[in-house]
Amino acid sequence: MIEIKHIRVEFGKRRILDGIDATVAPGRITAVMGPNGCGKTTLLRCIGGLLEPTAGSVAIDGQLVGSYTARGLAQKVAFVRQQAQTDFEFSAFETVLMGRNPYQHHLQNESQKDWDIVEQCMKQTGTWHLRLAKPGEMSGGEMQRVMIARALAQQTPVLLMDEPVSNLDIAHQLEIMRLLRTTDKTVVIVIHDLNLALQFCDDLMLIHNGKLLFHGPIAQGLTTGNIGTVYGVKSHMAEGRIIFDY
Amino acid sequence: MQKRAHKTGRANPWVILGLTALLAVTMAVSCMFGAVDISMDDIAGRSQIFWQLRLPRVIMGALVGAVLSVCGAAYQSIFRNPLTDPYVLGVSSGASLGAAVAILLGLEAYLWGVGGLALAMALMTVLVIYKIASIGNRMHTTTLLLTGVCLTLLISAVISFLMVLNQEKMDSIIFWTMGSFGSSSWTDVWMLLPVAAVGIGVVLWYSRDLNLLLAGSEAAQSMGCEVEKVKRMLLLFTTLMVAFAVSSCGVIGFVGLIVPHAVRLVAGPDNRKVVPYAILCGAIFVLVCDTLARTVLRPSELPVGSLTSMVGAPLFIYLLYKNKKGF
Repeated sequence: MIEIKHIRVEFGKRRILDGIDATVAPGRITAVMGPNGCGKTTLLRCIGGLLEPTAGSVAIDGQLVGSYTARGLAQKVAFVRQQAQTDFEFSAFETVLMGRNPYQHHLQNESQKDWDIVEQCMKQTGTWHLRLAKPGEMSGGEMQRVMIARALAQQTPVLLMDEPVSNLDIAHQLEIMRLLRTTDKTVVIVIHDLNLALQFCDDLMLIHNGKLLFHGPIAQGLTTGNIGTVYGVKSHMAEGRIIFDY
Repeated sequence: MQKRAHKTGRANPWVILGLTALLAVTMAVSCMFGAVDISMDDIAGRSQIFWQLRLPRVIMGALVGAVLSVCGAAYQSIFRNPLTDPYVLGVSSGASLGAAVAILLGLEAYLWGVGGLALAMALMTVLVIYKIASIGNRMHTTTLLLTGVCLTLLISAVISFLMVLNQEKMDSIIFWTMGSFGSSSWTDVWMLLPVAAVGIGVVLWYSRDLNLLLAGSEAAQSMGCEVEKVKRMLLLFTTLMVAFAVSSCGVIGFVGLIVPHAVRLVAGPDNRKVVPYAILCGAIFVLVCDTLARTVLRPSELPVGSLTSMVGAPLFIYLLYKNKKGF
């Protein structure tokens, strides 16, 4: 369970988030949506303990995010970032293996169990055949799937994902979204594809001008009215899908 | 999976053992050659040269090589920049200014007169750089790098200015900045040894975290790395090690930049291997260079700093060519 209380985030004079209150129930997939620059990533960073809000707090399983140790929090929350980034020449396998870090001590080596978990996560994300590939040898989408595998290897109950499927073709988008559906993780995912969100997510947090415009079941939130307010575009629903008018 | 298993993770103990044996042999051979050659049977006959000059020099060579390489490996991961070397934070320029001032003041006659002032200036320079680059309790690594580069350029200009005003001492200052173990003594060894032992221990302890830092600060944090603490500890101990090393033997370039890369080309990027291998390879490399520096043109000596580049650059280019891969 993730409890977000009165979060306010300011960068200098610019207010990014303004009093967000929400409770994310365990095991549900929550889509965070809103136009570019509305504070979606900032909200995710606050939940993941990567950014301390100017005011307000986030608690995971009843404990404030800031009071976890780095290792403790990394056993609770995994983060898939917007831009996959690795330097130097770590292979995909080594990259995913880093996800096992929260379970190891400084001088401890990875065990057979760790390798098995990595193998399983790479097979789930369709990256096992890339295990020996270096960053330069993979496409953006492949790299993104490796990053998702790394987050899965952390075996956390909470998974935060910042546009994880933006770089993927439709087949892989569906594969990743189906995978999320099969896990019992609490997933908070920033996603731009309204129909994909409608199909795979349970809940919606719709952010508009730094405030939470809607939080609840996604089918109730993704209305043509809300889409018009937040994105300024006209749309209509047809056979359960959102069709944009132009 | 077993095939991958041995390729990831900690250093291979057999490689460590092999490199340690090679280091021991290199030290023994290095003890024998110099302005005066000393054979095994001859140690008693030339005990003064062996115990007071040759042995401390050989130990210093190994220590400084290990220190520069381990710091280079750490910096390249902390700053996520393959071009960083141990001198990037201005330690060497601070030390050089301290040494130049000491030489101009005629402190060479005093025990650790030049080294002491070099050390003080090195630490002071880095403190100024850290002060500028830290925002609250966070260290901004790009600002740290840029400030280091700027201050290095500024100090180099000041040193040039001092040299032009005092041309009669120019040779001594230039020779100091090129690095040499010619005046290494047991005092230098006892000064550097404890700092190096603790510092190397700290970098080894955090070698797994160095891998995570390569993925970026936030990614490292979300994988359980205490980023700010790790960076602070590593920067503190690496800075101390480099400051002590450079103030005792001058600026020996190339080692800290290239040895970690050479190791990466052979052993892969995992810092749990790179750090221990680089420590041993760096020690061996500097020892070989110093032995050549004092034997090639004997009885006169070449500055070891120029030898490290002359020997290291072709070796590294060969490795790059053979592996044909970038960073």
